[in-house]
Amino acid sequence: MSRYISARVVQLIFIIFFISIVAFLLVHLLPGDPTLAILGPNDTAQARAELLKQLGLNKPLPVQYWTWISNVFRGNLGVSFLTHQTVSNAIGVAFPIDLELIIVSQILAFLVSIPLALAAALRPNRLFDRIATTSTYGMLAVPTFVVAVILVLLLAVKIHLFPATGFNPLAQGLGPNLKSVLLPSISLAVGSVAIYYRLLRADMIATLQEDFITMARAKGLSTRYILIRHALRPSSFALLAGAGLSIGSLFTGAFVVEILFQLPGIGFQLIQAIDSRDYLVVQGMALVAAIAYVAINFGVDVLFTFLDPRVRRA
Amino acid sequence: MVDLGSGSAALERVRDFETAKGVAEPTTIPGNSSSGLGLVFWISFAWVLLMVLLAIFASVLPLKDPNFQDYNAVNIGPSLHHLLGTDDLGRDLLSRIIFGSRVSLIIGFASVGLALLVGGLLGLWAGYRGRWVDSILNAASLVVLAFPALLAILVIEAFWVPRSLLKLTIIFAVAGAPSLFRVIRATTLSFATREFVVAARTMGATTWRILFRELLPNVLPAAISFALIGVAVAIILEGSLAFLGLSISLPTASLGNIVNEGVQNNNLSLNSFIALWPSLYIFIILVALNLMADRLRTRFDVRAGNL
Amino acid sequence: MAAPMATGTSPTAMGPAPTMPADQARKGIGAQPKGGPVANSADRYDRRTFITRGATTAAGLALAGVGAPALLSACGASSPGTSSATTRPGTPGISSARPVKGGSITIGVSSDIDGFLPALSHFDATGLTYANAVFDSLTAIASDASVRPNLAASVTPNADLTVWTVALRPNVLFHDGSPLTADVVLQNYKALKASALTGQAVAPISKVTTSGDLSVIYTCDEPLVAFPAYLATQVGYIIALSQLDNTSSGSQNPVGTGPFKIVSWQPNDHFTVERNPHYWRKGLPYLDTVTFKPIVSDQSRESSLRSGTIDLMVSHDPGIIADLQHDSSFQQVTDLTQTTGQPDMDFICLNTTIEPTNDLTVRQALAYATNAEQVVKLFGRGVTAVNQSLFPEGSIYRAADNGYPKYNLAKAKQLVAQAAARHGGSITIPLIDITDPRQAEIIQALGSMWEQAGMKVTLNQIEQVTYISDLVEGKFTAAADEQFSAPDPDLNYVWLSSTTASGPIALNFARNKDPLLEAALQKGRTSADKAARIEAYQTVDKRLSADLPYIWFGRAPWSITGSDSVMNFAGPILPDGTLARGFEGGVFSPAQIWMKA
Repeated sequence: MSRYISARVVQLIFIIFFISIVAFLLVHLLPGDPTLAILGPNDTAQARAELLKQLGLNKPLPVQYWTWISNVFRGNLGVSFLTHQTVSNAIGVAFPIDLELIIVSQILAFLVSIPLALAAALRPNRLFDRIATTSTYGMLAVPTFVVAVILVLLLAVKIHLFPATGFNPLAQGLGPNLKSVLLPSISLAVGSVAIYYRLLRADMIATLQEDFITMARAKGLSTRYILIRHALRPSSFALLAGAGLSIGSLFTGAFVVEILFQLPGIGFQLIQAIDSRDYLVVQGMALVAAIAYVAINFGVDVLFTFLDPRVRRA
Repeated sequence: MVDLGSGSAALERVRDFETAKGVAEPTTIPGNSSSGLGLVFWISFAWVLLMVLLAIFASVLPLKDPNFQDYNAVNIGPSLHHLLGTDDLGRDLLSRIIFGSRVSLIIGFASVGLALLVGGLLGLWAGYRGRWVDSILNAASLVVLAFPALLAILVIEAFWVPRSLLKLTIIFAVAGAPSLFRVIRATTLSFATREFVVAARTMGATTWRILFRELLPNVLPAAISFALIGVAVAIILEGSLAFLGLSISLPTASLGNIVNEGVQNNNLSLNSFIALWPSLYIFIILVALNLMADRLRTRFDVRAGNL
Repeated sequence: MAAPMATGTSPTAMGPAPTMPADQARKGIGAQPKGGPVANSADRYDRRTFITRGATTAAGLALAGVGAPALLSACGASSPGTSSATTRPGTPGISSARPVKGGSITIGVSSDIDGFLPALSHFDATGLTYANAVFDSLTAIASDASVRPNLAASVTPNADLTVWTVALRPNVLFHDGSPLTADVVLQNYKALKASALTGQAVAPISKVTTSGDLSVIYTCDEPLVAFPAYLATQVGYIIALSQLDNTSSGSQNPVGTGPFKIVSWQPNDHFTVERNPHYWRKGLPYLDTVTFKPIVSDQSRESSLRSGTIDLMVSHDPGIIADLQHDSSFQQVTDLTQTTGQPDMDFICLNTTIEPTNDLTVRQALAYATNAEQVVKLFGRGVTAVNQSLFPEGSIYRAADNGYPKYNLAKAKQLVAQAAARHGGSITIPLIDITDPRQAEIIQALGSMWEQAGMKVTLNQIEQVTYISDLVEGKFTAAADEQFSAPDPDLNYVWLSSTTASGPIALNFARNKDPLLEAALQKGRTSADKAARIEAYQTVDKRLSADLPYIWFGRAPWSITGSDSVMNFAGPILPDGTLARGFEGGVFSPAQIWMKA
């Protein structure tokens, strides 16, 4: 097992390293360069050349990459060309927002999908199951930005229940903080609900056919007790795996919601940095997003190898 | 909905586990599986076929020009003259949806088909071969999956103008291939050590023959059922690109472009039909594709189990 | 602009003044082709402010003639006579009621800035508004477009306008408690001079010295009529030495003399300031705290105002402006009635050096095929009106009949047929724009109109930096553009001149070369005679209609909208008691806003 894990870790480090190279190259291949954003359109060719030199962008790409990556290893992600803010500072602002969005949206998704899936699995193919299953397709079919705009119109503009934009950090109190992330979290949760419902329902139906459930039933335990105490835990592996994958990609995948609600998370800042060719910010954010994705899925994989021997083969 | 990148990987897990558990959607009525694909399958199939035919023959149907702007009929609701109403530029929504579905269905089917071809074949090879082939391809697929899709798409689109159907299809195929690779690799792994494969090998069958005659037919059902979900996911992802203004070049309609138009610029409160119709279209076709995929999988899983 | 020059206190003003701007053009204050931009950069999201900022660049230069004498005579007796209609008391956003002290406000702006260093950061509409909160500029612009003293008590030239003495107000303290002295201003100047961004702009100043604690003496090689107005722009904001010397985080921590002090700045999230209790203007500011929230999407900003998340917002989207205008629970100020100076115009910029738009017939066809009435009806939502001229309706510089082709589809078709043969049988126009949802609709309408006339149109929404490089480098055929906001037409010289129309980087994006146009622009910038100047710009208007580098359709509006309780958000009073130009091009000052109790 430990050999398996260490082999995986080596593989993951290789993957992250490779991603850092690809991210670096892609950013540098973008048309235009940061001088346009820094100097404006009517700078002189001379000022541009000087600035490129000052920023170290006149050196060959491999040298630039080496400078960047060796600084990264020393814990220095660099400074934004535009805001002169350190990249680690920018990530420090963005990361907690994504983290909270992800945690709240996933809790919401679980709160809705687990009871739905339990009820549906209890009587598969009956009316409730069919309605729930079809409506989860509906959730998959409506794009996030439609959900977000409808929520804002109803709950922020019509009745002033929630703020329409912005993020209130936890420091301003739990109430305002939760209020500011609730609408974006609901928008993000909608897609997750559909997936989690389907995962849990499938596993649950299978579990409920197992012998130990029949035994429990024979013992006269209540249905609710059996569902929650006996069936839920062994049925939640797929749910966990699905959650791991969703969460990993939400670090950049939440950009639509972040733009609509003006939440300066990783996805939002990545888009802005790409637009202004703020190379170091893009590279730093891309690296962090990739590491988050890889780490979360590595965690899920390891968890699975422990919990479910079936996965070890694959 | 599923945002860029998040959907396919998670759905892969859904399929993995649903396949493993042998449990399908509510439509799986025991006893029905032996007697063909069932009514639900055929209704779904008929709907999808109808949509595909509409898209193919859109230009010969008695539809209005999807790009014709009638400024005297801006934002009007459904009527006899405009069955689904018009948008904020006075364009007929029915013909925009049908012409738009053409783009969306091509992006959906062609990108997934391409991804299936590339990712699927590599998955088959990696799953059967194992060792270094598997290690390298597996790592490569993880790189693509973990790479921030947003960055890749923005950079590619900044380069590759104007944005055509072909380019979007290729971008989506590249994004989808790793997921398909992983599904098919995992499924192939589970067959690679089965008796019939071992038997074929001992009888001196070539790798080529084992891959295509022994493994492929067994792997295909899972691959197709997963691919059909991929089609739906791709159609929705196109909407996310439209939100950034990065979908197919305007004024060409696509379902994503239309939904996006319906939500931006306060259009949702001015004329909610613009966003409603394409969302409904995606919903129905998603349900139909899923029902078909589930029926196919249960049907072929049963056969696979009998082998 | 030169008219007030004649009344200037300096007896020699008449002499050098008329020729000066041309000299400056060579020297590089703003007018030099590729030099001098003070406030310019690629805004992250908003092409609109980006281009606008380009136009404000040369502000120092163009305002000169108007402003200098007013400032020199200190009492401000002379002014050009025209004034802005929106900034009079009695209109929304301006209150003469007794202000209530205290309270706080949240303001939605359209983008965030990149820092608070005048020498390194880009003060766009948002940036200048932020700067107005924490800093003070040495001079300020009044509602009649004249230049007035602000942090400077006076600005006085020598006889030939080569040496300017700025007398600072005494007893002004920075937020860190340090006093405003001549040396601080000198150090500010040195930072500007050393910067790649602003170095060009201050290039004409050859020497700066101090005399005593409160006098700064600027020496120029040549007469610099623009000097006082130039102190009202980005380079005129004075920051404390502690910020200037803070090389690591100075750009994030403004220390100024302004009405408010920074509390915190989180890029893309918020910028919060609190009352400066030691503000040199007694009794100001009224509010305790101001929080600016950059909200990129106009639709989200409107939702935020409606939901009470913000109290005041800036908008540049006619649809949003119209929505809020028709809602009685909000008060709104727009710049649409402003006729002094020059607003932003919405138009299509045509590259006159590239196939097929290098053909005048094709450009004429495009002009005839563009139904501006319809575009404005669809997207102006009753807020904007058709404006097919460089100058707005009501401007003195607008020719009575500029000869701009009126919409005529038949004529357009005929011209297309005529020109098609020269361009391989058909005419294809690739039209580019940024990825903005409103713009997406506008270019679709235009594309459809041009196709009606028999042309083939391809639309391309591209991301901002690529869009701007394409314009600057001339890699486009037709581009949906917005430009020309300026207090004086001469500010737009760099965008229109034949001298900036060639080379790998050209500010005259259309690359339109026309000797008659160039002559008129030169005449406009150098004429001392008001009538001659009017005639010159009317000629410019007519020449643009003949050359057709731009397909006009309307004026691009800016608005500021507040909830009922926000008072006096567009009518601050300057230290000398005159009404300031309260809201222009998205810029305003929070110092005199108060909240109804």
